[in-house]
Amino acid sequence: MIGIMGASGAGKSTLAKVLNRIIPELEGGDLRGVVMLGGRSIADAHVCDLAGDLGMVFQDFESQLFSTTVAHEVAFAMERIGMPREEILARLEPALEAVGLRGFEDRDPTTLSGGQKQRLAIASVLALRPRVVVLDEPTTDLDPEGRAEVFALIRRMREEGISLIVIEHEAEELRQCDRVVILRDGSIIAEGTPATVMPKIELLEECGINAPGLDRVARLLGIDDHPASIGDAEAHIRTLLPHLSPGAEVQLDRADRKIVESKTILEIDSVSFSYSGGPRVLDDISLTIGAGEFIAIVGQNGSGKTTLAKMSVGLLAPDSGEVLLEGRDRTTLRPAETAREIGYVFQNPDHQIFADTVEAEVKFGPRNFGLDDREIESRSAEVLQAVGLENERDTDPFLLGKGQRQRLAVASVLALRPRLLILDEPTTGLDYREQRKMMKLVSELNASGVAIVMITHTPWLVAEYAHRVVLMRAGRKLFEGPVREFFIRDELLRTSSFKPPEVTTLSRRFGTVALSAAELVEWLRGRAQ
Amino acid sequence: MKTSLYIDRGSIVHRLHPTLKIFALFAAFWSIYWIDNPLTLVPFIAAEFAVGIAIGAGENVYRFRWFFLLIVLPTMITWMISYRRGTPIINLPLIHASKESILFGLGKGMKVAALVLASVIFLSSTKVEELSVGLSRLGFPYRFGFTITLAFRLVPLFIDSALTVVDAQRLRGYDFDEGGPFERIRRYVPVIIPVFMGALRKANNMAMALEARGFGRSNQPTSFIEYRMHTRDAGAFAILIAVGTVAFMLYWTGYGAIPGASIHS
Repeated sequence: MIGIMGASGAGKSTLAKVLNRIIPELEGGDLRGVVMLGGRSIADAHVCDLAGDLGMVFQDFESQLFSTTVAHEVAFAMERIGMPREEILARLEPALEAVGLRGFEDRDPTTLSGGQKQRLAIASVLALRPRVVVLDEPTTDLDPEGRAEVFALIRRMREEGISLIVIEHEAEELRQCDRVVILRDGSIIAEGTPATVMPKIELLEECGINAPGLDRVARLLGIDDHPASIGDAEAHIRTLLPHLSPGAEVQLDRADRKIVESKTILEIDSVSFSYSGGPRVLDDISLTIGAGEFIAIVGQNGSGKTTLAKMSVGLLAPDSGEVLLEGRDRTTLRPAETAREIGYVFQNPDHQIFADTVEAEVKFGPRNFGLDDREIESRSAEVLQAVGLENERDTDPFLLGKGQRQRLAVASVLALRPRLLILDEPTTGLDYREQRKMMKLVSELNASGVAIVMITHTPWLVAEYAHRVVLMRAGRKLFEGPVREFFIRDELLRTSSFKPPEVTTLSRRFGTVALSAAELVEWLRGRAQ
Repeated sequence: MKTSLYIDRGSIVHRLHPTLKIFALFAAFWSIYWIDNPLTLVPFIAAEFAVGIAIGAGENVYRFRWFFLLIVLPTMITWMISYRRGTPIINLPLIHASKESILFGLGKGMKVAALVLASVIFLSSTKVEELSVGLSRLGFPYRFGFTITLAFRLVPLFIDSALTVVDAQRLRGYDFDEGGPFERIRRYVPVIIPVFMGALRKANNMAMALEARGFGRSNQPTSFIEYRMHTRDAGAFAILIAVGTVAFMLYWTGYGAIPGASIHS
C-alpha cells in the first residue's frame, strides 16, 4: 500500500491518470518515460484495456455510478469488457460481500449514502480482480461515517493482499501504508516508510499536507521516534515524563474559548420541517446565534445541517416553530432582502460563480442592491484584499484553483457585509495549506464581529476554531455546548462516527482535553515542572 | 435525489422483453398519430391510464402533473385560436375560434398528453439498462443506446444543480422576477453558466470513469441479465399490432378525424 500526498496541483491526480493512460489518451499532454504494469510497458494499451489490471476509484462518486441497481453497477465493468454471463454472476456476490453491500443488490444506487456509493464504486472495480487499485482522494466528499467505512474497506483490501495506491490529503490516514510518497510541483521530493516521512513536519506542511497530530506532539516534546498510534505516543510520553499519573480522570481544567454573551442575531425556536410528504428532516430544533459567535454544526450527511442553514437564510420555511431574525419573523422576509444580514456560502463554489472576472463576481451582490459605484468599488477592493485575491481581479474565475474559487465565493458573499455568515463545509476539497488560509480568513472575520456558523465534518477545524458545537442526528439536536465538553461525550461521538482529533484523544489519557498539539505539550510541560 | 423514473413493481409489463417495450412505445405513438377526434382518443387514453395504474406508475404521473398541464394547455389553446377552419364563433385578426378548431385543439392537447403518458409508463417500467439492451437488439449502435441512457441519468442531476444555483444567486440579492418576459429569460444567465460549467466537469469525470471501467473495449458488451422472449411477449406483440391496426383503420375510415377540420380527413 502506497500513500501519495501533496498539495493541490502537486501532480497526484495526474500521476494516477498516467497509471491507467487517461493521460495522455483522454486528456492529452506530452508523456515521457515508461509505466510498467506486471513487468510490461502499458505504452500501447488503451484506458479501457487496462480496466481489468488496474482499477481506478475517483473522488466524485456521483460521476462513477451509471446504473439503476447496485447489482447492475457492479456488473457494469464486467459487461463492458465482454465477460461471459456465468462469470459475472460468479463474481458479483464476492465483490458485494467484500465491500459490505451484500443484500443491497436491487437498491437504486442514488438512494445509498455517500460512503455506500463510494464502496459500490470500489466493488465494481474489485469485481474485475485488478492487480492494483488506485484510489484518488476517495473520502474527500464523505461525512465521518462514510470516511470510516471507506478506510475500513481499504484496510480489508490491504489485508487481502491487493496492491493499493491511495492519494490523500490527511497524513494521519496514511500511517498504515508500507510506503508514502510526497509530491511537490510534479516531482517526488520524499519517499519512505511512514516512520521516516511523517516526522518531517515542516516538509509536510510546506507541501500542503496536514502532518499527523501525534508527530507534532512528539516533535514539540523532542521525541525523535514516530508514534505509530495513540498508544505508542502515550508510551513515548510516559517514558519521557515518568511521573505523570497513569489513568488520570479527565478534568475540564482549562477554559474554553469564549462563549460570547451578545446580542442575538438569529433565533430558531422549536422548528420542525419535512419536505413534502417525506419524513421529518428537522425535529423540534432550537438554537440561538449571537453577534460575534463561532458555532460549528456537525453530524452525518442527512442529519439536517444544511436544511437548518437553508431555513436560517429563508430558502425554506418551517412547518412549525419560529425563525426570528433580530426579532422579525424570518418567513415574512425574502432571502434576497436579508442577504445583507445573513450570508450563505454554499459547499461548492461553482454553484455561484458565473462572471467573466473575479472582480465582476464580487461586485455582483452589491450591484443587486443598487449600491453606488464608489461604494461597490471600495467593497470589492476590501474583500478581495481580505481573501488574498487582490492580484487576480481581472482573472477568469474558472481558471482559479479550487481553494481560490472557494475564497472568491466567500468574498462575493462578504461584499454584502453580512453580520452572520453561514459556511457549508468551506474546506472540502482543499489541501491543508488552503484550509488554513480559508480558516484564517474566517477567524479574522469572526474577530471583527461577524458571527460564524460553520457546517463541517473536519474534527480539527472544530477543535481549533469553534466556540460552540451543535451535533445533529436524524433532524434532532443531540448536543450543544463548548468544544471540550463535546469531545468527552464518548457515546455521542461513537454513535455519530465523529472522531475527535488524535491529539485530543491522546490528551484524555493524561487527564485533560487538549484541542491542539501545542496545547497538550504546554499542559504536559506544566505538569512536568 | 431519485434520478430515475423506474418503479420496481415486477408487473407483467415490467417483465416484457426490452425490445418489445420499445416496440410498445412506438405502437402507442403510431396509434395516437392517426387519430385527431377527441372522442375517439378517449378509449386510447383510458387504456394508457389503466395500464399506468395497473403497473404502479401512478406516482410518476402525479409527479409530472404540472408538466402535463404545461405542455397540454398551451398546445390546446394555440390550436383552438389559430386553426382557421370551420364556421367562426370568434373571428379577430389573431384569434379565430370555431366548433371545429376547438375540437381540433382539444384533440391536439389530448394527443400530446397521450404521448407523454405513454413515455412516462415506458420509463416507469423500463430500466435504463433495458433501454440500452433493447436499442442494441433493434440494431442501434451500442454507443448510441448508452448515450441515450446516460442522458436519462444526467438530466435530473442538472436540474438539481440548477435549483441550487438559483438559491445561491437569490442569496446574493438577485431577483429573477424583474422585467418583461425577455428580460426574465436573460436574467437566467447567472444560472445557466454555473450549470453548464458544472455539466462539463461532470461529463469529463464521467468519461474518465467510464473508460476506466472498460467502456469501449468491446462493441458487443455482455449482459448479466438474460433477456429472452416469452409467451407474454408474443401476446403483447399481438395486442399491440391489433391496437395499431385499429388506430390506422379508424383513420382510414374517417372515424378518427374531426369532420371538416382534420388534416387527415
